[in-house]
Amino acid sequence: MARRTKIHVGLEIGTSKTCVVVGEIMPDSSVKILGIGVTKTAGVRKGEIFDFPQARASLKDAITKAEDASDAEIGSVYLAVTGSHIQGTNHTGTFRLPDSEPTVAPEHVREACTTAREVQIPPDHVYLHSIVRQYRLDGQEHSTSPVGLFGKTVEADFHIIHGINTRIQNSIMLVRENPLEVEEVVFSPIATAQMALDREQRVRGALVIDIGGGTTDYALYLGGAITAAGCIPVGGDHITNDIHLVTGLQFSKAERLKILEGNASAAAVHSVGVAKLADERGFADVEVSRRILNEIIRQRLEETLRLVRAQLPAGAVEAIGAGIFLTGGTSLMRGFHDLAFDVFGRDIYQPVLPEMGGVQANFRDPQYATAIGLIRYAQILETEHAKPPGLFGKIGRLFRPLSR
Amino acid sequence: MIQYNRDPQANIPPSAVKIIGLGGAGANMLEHIALDGLDGAELLALNTDLRTLNACLAREKVQLGVNLTKGLGAGGDPELGQQAMLESEEQVRTLIKGRRIVFLCAGLGGGTGSGAAPIVTRLAREEGAFVVVFATMPFAFEGRRRREQAETALNELAVLSNALVTFDNNRMGELVLAKQGVHEAFAAADYMICESIKAVIRLVIRPGLINVGLDDLMSALRTTRSRCLFGSGIATGADRAMKALKNALNSPLLDQGSLLKEAQTVLVHLSGGENLTLFEIELLMQRLQKFVPENAHVLFGAAIDPAMEDSLSITLISALPEDSLAMAPRKGLTNSGGEPSFLDPSVGFTPPPEEQKIPEPEPEPEPEPEPEPEPEPEPEPEPEPEPEPEPAVSSLPEVRQATTALTAEATYFPFNDEKPFAEPDSFMAAGPPPEPESPPANEYTAAEQDPLPIEETPSETPGKPTYIPLPPRRPSVPGRWGAPKPLPEASSFPDDLEDEQSAVPDPDPEPDPDPEPPKLRLGVKTTNLQDELSLESSPRGRFEGEIPNIFGGEDLDLPPFLRKKK
Repeated sequence: MARRTKIHVGLEIGTSKTCVVVGEIMPDSSVKILGIGVTKTAGVRKGEIFDFPQARASLKDAITKAEDASDAEIGSVYLAVTGSHIQGTNHTGTFRLPDSEPTVAPEHVREACTTAREVQIPPDHVYLHSIVRQYRLDGQEHSTSPVGLFGKTVEADFHIIHGINTRIQNSIMLVRENPLEVEEVVFSPIATAQMALDREQRVRGALVIDIGGGTTDYALYLGGAITAAGCIPVGGDHITNDIHLVTGLQFSKAERLKILEGNASAAAVHSVGVAKLADERGFADVEVSRRILNEIIRQRLEETLRLVRAQLPAGAVEAIGAGIFLTGGTSLMRGFHDLAFDVFGRDIYQPVLPEMGGVQANFRDPQYATAIGLIRYAQILETEHAKPPGLFGKIGRLFRPLSR
Repeated sequence: MIQYNRDPQANIPPSAVKIIGLGGAGANMLEHIALDGLDGAELLALNTDLRTLNACLAREKVQLGVNLTKGLGAGGDPELGQQAMLESEEQVRTLIKGRRIVFLCAGLGGGTGSGAAPIVTRLAREEGAFVVVFATMPFAFEGRRRREQAETALNELAVLSNALVTFDNNRMGELVLAKQGVHEAFAAADYMICESIKAVIRLVIRPGLINVGLDDLMSALRTTRSRCLFGSGIATGADRAMKALKNALNSPLLDQGSLLKEAQTVLVHLSGGENLTLFEIELLMQRLQKFVPENAHVLFGAAIDPAMEDSLSITLISALPEDSLAMAPRKGLTNSGGEPSFLDPSVGFTPPPEEQKIPEPEPEPEPEPEPEPEPEPEPEPEPEPEPEPEPAVSSLPEVRQATTALTAEATYFPFNDEKPFAEPDSFMAAGPPPEPESPPANEYTAAEQDPLPIEETPSETPGKPTYIPLPPRRPSVPGRWGAPKPLPEASSFPDDLEDEQSAVPDPDPEPDPDPEPPKLRLGVKTTNLQDELSLESSPRGRFEGEIPNIFGGEDLDLPPFLRKKK
């Protein structure tokens, strides 16, 4: 397999940080992270850009850092977008074979797919993804295209993700100005899920919740295929803001308090006494009752999780077999695990901060999950598009339900 | 044309609709309609069999042939059914009088259905009604004899009725699963028929945003001896347009839409609640295009019915000439019966068929499959060569005269004559009066030509536009504007909404009236709760001044801690 390695770049312009990951796809199709560039983002709110010059500056900075770290020149990126305007729906397309043709031909499947993609979306929306979930032939489920089989009716189940055109265009424009090419725009939770879930987990049913700074993105996989995805415009910033509003602390202190002392679990043990922050000189300058602090955090996160739960189709949570995978910076909150279990009642996987540093450790840092997931996504797309279905085709087929 | 011309503006009130169930099968269909509670339409049951009749739910019942059959059925003999009908003719006539649309449901093949249906149809036509006949054809296993009887009756009905919708019992099996009981198969067939009657009534009675009326219906069903393609689907929720279409295409009469491929004219009627969007319609029609040939004439109608609420229903109506449905025996029949274009009631009313080269119209109800061709040969060729423009212009008055003459005539020959072949002559004799300018031979041709121009301009039949010139669009929109209003008030936003008012300061007076102290969870806000500036009252920290982040009725930018505290 004398195959050249290929470098992909994932870019996520998040609410709190802009993250660029340069990854190299090794010949054995493993991913090696060459470098990461992270900057604090300015000018992005709840996943959507509102101040272009600022956002552009952070992007530039992140790109430069990533180029330095990876010693590569970045020409094109895979861009993750999010925002509460992005929605996903499921849709089925049906095609009934003409009587004269007993077996399914490729064009029949294509026709069913076309039908499935024709979803009613608001006029200002565009399609981001249309992902095949499964095919059905006369009601019988097939995970791959039923071409060549005998049947009467071909159905294609699609998950279609769409969002407001102009906002997505603006994100793309921001990147193009840099100037960088945008290879593909990916809805964040989809990218995250590439990273967070393996195939088995998808088949058993898994929910990825990516709680970032400004948004909470989720993607639900059931039976190996995406079933729901969306974004709730609440994130870690909201917790900080809540602390600020309730206690009157300034933002920077509220943020530190959140990170250092906050606990989302309802257990009373964590809510005893007073949380203190020492200033540079060692004096305690912030004192907040842990009970209040934890209550603020817990209520915020619980509400968010309940909103996510409410967005999922009925019965979906019960169908989750593998568990719920928390990721994103906010998922590092202590006690979040317990809280999520209270809300969903399924197994919860909460990431832990890597103990050691180094580039590879970034793999495990939930803050980079989306950007790294983009590399994965790029890899899958590439194998999909690769013509000869050799070894790579086989690997690609594993992910077929995921890619467009 | 018919009475419709005279008060063209008026909507057709439901009371002007009469649904007649004839014979045993007709009674079953009627029962279904009655159970479904079709509002307003009058139901009339006609039967020779007294017991079946008494069991029927229809409000009006007429026993046919009280003296002839003495309360028993017609015993599968159309002759007997016909006699029985003639006996009760006056009674039925009075009941039909003044109705503008008559739906006649009958099962062909038996005695009462086959024998009496043509006569009832004729009576209704004489009373000036638009007659739509829903007929079921017997099962193949019922034997050839019954099939022939049915076909004879069908031929007559094709001529007499304005529109003929045929359901083939043989296809009934497709309505239900193989293992389901036979009663379910029949129930399903009746249901199907009932649905189509309802759809037709809805279509005709209810004015739409984009109106379709009888005229469109007629052009959709233009092929006189045709099988009706009918599908109706209803769906709610997201993606309802697609689902509704799918349901409609599931109709066995459409064969998953594949039969539509050959249709010349398709009538599509959409009806939805006030939230029916243009996009949905677009999408749906786009989708439908795949099932309909490109050059087909699509008659589109849409109506807003607030009662539909969140659901959307679609009705597809079309007709295929039976020949194209591979009905072998048909061929010969149509050929023989096709040519004669005597002046008969249907000439005036139905825009005769153009899809089939052979116009169905036969002189009268009486079966004269064989003898017809003889008189015809000369008139037949003529019609084609001379499509003079005049007929279009003159047709209306002509036809009127024709009809009047005819009705008059019909009373002269109220069917009692046993010898069917005597009638053509009488018609010929009657022919001249309506069109004095031309000799009889020409007259037939003229009569035939009337249809011809119509075909060229399918939708604008001379008479048609006049009778339903309902305003094509109704400003039923106002409801739309009204609708959003209640939402913010009634919906989930609790009183804490004050803060959101920043974005929408004016819309709801609600929050203002109820600024009870409890709802302000932060002491800070107490100061200015009474005025609409209250939006400023709750600090939002870093999200200050942003668009309220409302999700599921709550402003997510406010701490749940504070929101829930109150």
